[in-house]
Amino acid sequence: MMVAAMGLGGVLSLASGASATTTPSSSSGVGGISSGGGVGAGNFSSGVSLPPGVGSPSYLGGPKNSGGANASVRIYRTVGGKRHLVAYGSSAITYKTPPASYVPLGQALFAQNCSSCHGADAQGSAIAPNLVGVGPATVDFWVSTGRMPAATTNVVQANRKPPRLSPKQALEVAAFVNSLDPAVPYVPYPNLKGANLADGADLFSLNCAACHTITGMGDALALSTFSPSLHAATAQQVAEAIRTGPANMPRFTGNLLDSQLRDVVAYVTESIQHPADPGGSGLGGIGPVAEGFIGLLFGVGGLALICFWIGDRA
Amino acid sequence: MSNTTNEPDGHEGHGGRTPVPMPVARFDDPHMQEAATHPQRTERIIALSFVLGTLAVAGFGAAYWVDGPPWVLAVTFGAGLLLLGFGLTAWGKYLMPQGPFVEERHRLASTADEQDAMSAALVQRTGVVVKRRRMLGGLFAGGAGIFGIVAIFPLLRSLGPVPGNTFDVTNWRRNSLLVDSNGRPVRVDTLQVGGIMTVFPAGAQNTEEGQAVDQTVLIRVSTDDITTQPGRESWGPRGYVAYSKLCTHLGCPVGLYEQQLQLLVCPCHQSMFNVLDGAVPNFGPAPRPLPQLPLKVDSSGHLRAQAGYDQAVGPGFWERTTR
Amino acid sequence: MSTTEATEPRAKRIALPRTKREAQAALGPYGRTGKIVGELDERFGIAKGGRTLLDKIFPDHWSFMLGEIALYSFVVLIATGIFLSLYFVPSADQVIYHGPYKPLDGQRVSAAFASTVDLSFSVRSGLLMRQMHHWAANVFVGSIVIHMARIFFTGAFRKPRETNWIIGTTLLIMAILNGFIGYSLPDDLVSGTGLRIAYSILLSIPFVGSYLATFLFGGNFPGTLIIPRFYIIHMLILPAIIAVLIGVHLGLLVRQKHTQFPGRGRTEHNVVGSPMFPTFMAKTTGFLFMVSGALALLGGLAQINPIWQFGSYKADRISYAVQPDWYMGWLDGALRIMPSWEWTGWGHTLPWEVFFPAILFPGLVFNVAFGWPLIERMFTKDNELHNLLDRPRDRPKRTAFGAAFFAMLFVMFLASSTDVLANYFHVSLNVVLWFFRFAVFVVPLLTYAATWKICREMQGVRGIGKRKRALVVTRTASGEYRTEPSAPRPGDERDELQPEPVPVLIELEPGVTVPERTSPVDGAVGAGVRQVKR
Repeated sequence: MMVAAMGLGGVLSLASGASATTTPSSSSGVGGISSGGGVGAGNFSSGVSLPPGVGSPSYLGGPKNSGGANASVRIYRTVGGKRHLVAYGSSAITYKTPPASYVPLGQALFAQNCSSCHGADAQGSAIAPNLVGVGPATVDFWVSTGRMPAATTNVVQANRKPPRLSPKQALEVAAFVNSLDPAVPYVPYPNLKGANLADGADLFSLNCAACHTITGMGDALALSTFSPSLHAATAQQVAEAIRTGPANMPRFTGNLLDSQLRDVVAYVTESIQHPADPGGSGLGGIGPVAEGFIGLLFGVGGLALICFWIGDRA
Repeated sequence: MSNTTNEPDGHEGHGGRTPVPMPVARFDDPHMQEAATHPQRTERIIALSFVLGTLAVAGFGAAYWVDGPPWVLAVTFGAGLLLLGFGLTAWGKYLMPQGPFVEERHRLASTADEQDAMSAALVQRTGVVVKRRRMLGGLFAGGAGIFGIVAIFPLLRSLGPVPGNTFDVTNWRRNSLLVDSNGRPVRVDTLQVGGIMTVFPAGAQNTEEGQAVDQTVLIRVSTDDITTQPGRESWGPRGYVAYSKLCTHLGCPVGLYEQQLQLLVCPCHQSMFNVLDGAVPNFGPAPRPLPQLPLKVDSSGHLRAQAGYDQAVGPGFWERTTR
Repeated sequence: MSTTEATEPRAKRIALPRTKREAQAALGPYGRTGKIVGELDERFGIAKGGRTLLDKIFPDHWSFMLGEIALYSFVVLIATGIFLSLYFVPSADQVIYHGPYKPLDGQRVSAAFASTVDLSFSVRSGLLMRQMHHWAANVFVGSIVIHMARIFFTGAFRKPRETNWIIGTTLLIMAILNGFIGYSLPDDLVSGTGLRIAYSILLSIPFVGSYLATFLFGGNFPGTLIIPRFYIIHMLILPAIIAVLIGVHLGLLVRQKHTQFPGRGRTEHNVVGSPMFPTFMAKTTGFLFMVSGALALLGGLAQINPIWQFGSYKADRISYAVQPDWYMGWLDGALRIMPSWEWTGWGHTLPWEVFFPAILFPGLVFNVAFGWPLIERMFTKDNELHNLLDRPRDRPKRTAFGAAFFAMLFVMFLASSTDVLANYFHVSLNVVLWFFRFAVFVVPLLTYAATWKICREMQGVRGIGKRKRALVVTRTASGEYRTEPSAPRPGDERDELQPEPVPVLIELEPGVTVPERTSPVDGAVGAGVRQVKR
């Protein structure tokens, strides 16, 4: 229905880099966007008590081109007299909200797959957080990576598994959740052409390696939490995770420009996921522990076996 | 075998040296026989091993010539060496006389008389010398001792500067502007709740010393001011807290932040610091909290330090005083 | 021929040969080799000593070759190291890397790092040499450890070989140090983190720690001096010390002769085995080739230390899952499991949580290692010379102590990979760490008890682990039973031979020990060619 109503005053072009209404000042009236931007950590019974007043400040402000609505390009659509922000971004990354036509499909999927834990109106329960106002990127990340629907509620963290919903269905669910209380960040579409791999590598080692390891293998963190391996993530999922900060992962917003995020995404999808291993088997990217085992087992052990062949037994 | 003494050329004396017994082995002596049960087959296997090894090594040469990938170089070179080595070793093990042969161990020690002679030489000659000139010995010993101590000075002291107060100070001062690693100033809306970044005092982000010593993590835990410890009510404006990134255990950068657990985890030895109460370690080997940098928001919305760190950052050392 | 020749050197008495046959005969019964021996002997006097050397006996047991693995790994280290030293730039100066590896292209890195990446990507066979060098270092330290274990468990460190044991332990420490310094040279993110830890460990030493740290590094961490200093230590000072110590180690071995296991014909006063020439030389040279071949295979098939993936070291960044190379792992594990006990008072700080696991504990370990011959002598009161080895089961307490010691070090090594283990087994990291805090005490105690018991059990069984000869039961017609041992298996007969001295002359055919001289050029020389056995 919304698709049919494109017309007056609305420039609708969801292809990245298309001409759009640009509104440079950060305080333009952007109707209908609530201050969302991340998982409401306070609602989730993670066993960690938070001081009062913890919430999520607005994405609307913040440094320009940092994944928030204060981007160089903003695209609006006017529906029924109200202006809605449908896309924003820069040449590096475009953030789009899923089409309105996805909402009823998403509602059905949500009722089938998510409402049992999150409630019919996504307000959350004792075992699942409130999803109202989290933004479509968050929902799309959790669902498209298969983390949600969760297999069991009894775990400290939900991990990637074969997704139950297709990528399109994930966007539909995201559209529905977003319709309850529209929020940014929108779903990112990174444009990897022109990415600077060296800058991406540099940013990765500063911001990401401390958790995910420098080879992106993932590892065990505190108290049964784990940083996942990055080898299965799509470019979109990497961007979503960085901007939304799922679960224990921190959220990178104003401290990472879209161009920098694009470089990191390119580095992950090209170099991390296709590591240059000219020296032979990468030994799982684990590092000196694996090398020690191989060296002792095959190197010293193999040579000791040769000694066993050459020499006598007592 | 028999122990006959033979003089092959019949010369007597042989240049003045006495002839030595030269044991002779019969040609069919089991000690001289090959260990292989099928010598012909063994010889063929060894020959094959040599041929293949030579081909492999030549293959290495060819692979090198055409700039082959490392694994091709390694397989040819390694297999070649292994095959050549295997052949040579097998030759030694299966086709050469194994014995067993015996060799007598000559008594290592000299006779008691010889030992006494040595000891006497040392003791009596020393006695003769030193007894008469006792003072000289002491003087020389003293000089040599002093020399030994002083000789170490260039080896140690010339290497580098004394520590001075190098571990006690950073470049953080009152009103230091917080910048990221590219030099961009940090604004109050840069981070959302749950965000973390590494910051430096303006001007220090590009220097090696700045990166090593001034590195600080800035975390936003809330939108409201946060107090981590009594007396630090003004240190956490708008929910921003800043801690030294140098772990107090061994100085690794503590870059691992878990926003739901509100923990900073050091990647080296997994010390866990509670972000909300002043980075007090609650697990792992780190002994002290991460020093906190007091922050403030200036009139243009940028974050600045109220002052430098109130204690030495990084791991402990003997001269470190607690304040 | 002239009659004054009896006093002149033999060579002068040979007349100029006129035919090829005469020329051949003029060389003497041993041909050109004999002539060369003669010439060398006249200059250096090598004939007598050389023959003794050729007859040198090496016992053949397989476990005596473990030290050779270390020796030949060292040879590979030197050879590959010389190659690497022609390309490595030992400087921490910042340069812009330009090269085929795109994620680094345009980044500011140190010259040491850039030269190592260049060596790996842009130099033909550079990566193979670099990886061979690193694998050889790992195998070098590993083989020293199992070689030391063999020495320990068989009691070969006892008098007169205590000095060799001390030299060997020193070699182990030098090897570990040189390995650590070596992999820190490329100045990458992973090894740089290790350097930061090393700096802080130095800092933790009371009284002198901060001075030692600033002296060695030329100031606060990281400075620009540590890479060039490490380069000189790694490729000149320590290898020179190691080479000299290996020389002394082998020299003592030659002088004192190798130990051997008890067995047929073996006593405290002899050595039984195979002769140096040709058997042992063939086997050991072949083994040198095989060690080099194995290291070459590892060097190209198993990637090690891919520094381009890590990036150049910058002090404000770090990777998770960073461990040192395995031979430092036990120290890293000790650092992880140590509780956070730091002492402060009277204006000073003593960081026990660093000082104990990183300085005192390894000091204790190595002092026990150095002093073991003395320690054991305190308990056994045994001041005799020993050239025969113990079977480990015959010394249950020593074997059990050694096993427990290794078990403790192994648990510490595993403790350095707490995060990797927690990730692999999907267990909480905190639980894994607490597990190791207990395991480091419990596992060695259990190992001691179990090993001691196993040794005692094995002692009670005759011929345990050995292949026994079957007994053939024969029944006579009158119903009498007899048993006799069956014939030895092929190859086993050699074990039942009595050892003989190495022959100098071998009968090539019955009655012939010396090759026949074809024509007596010099009548005085040619007497008595054919040896008749008496």
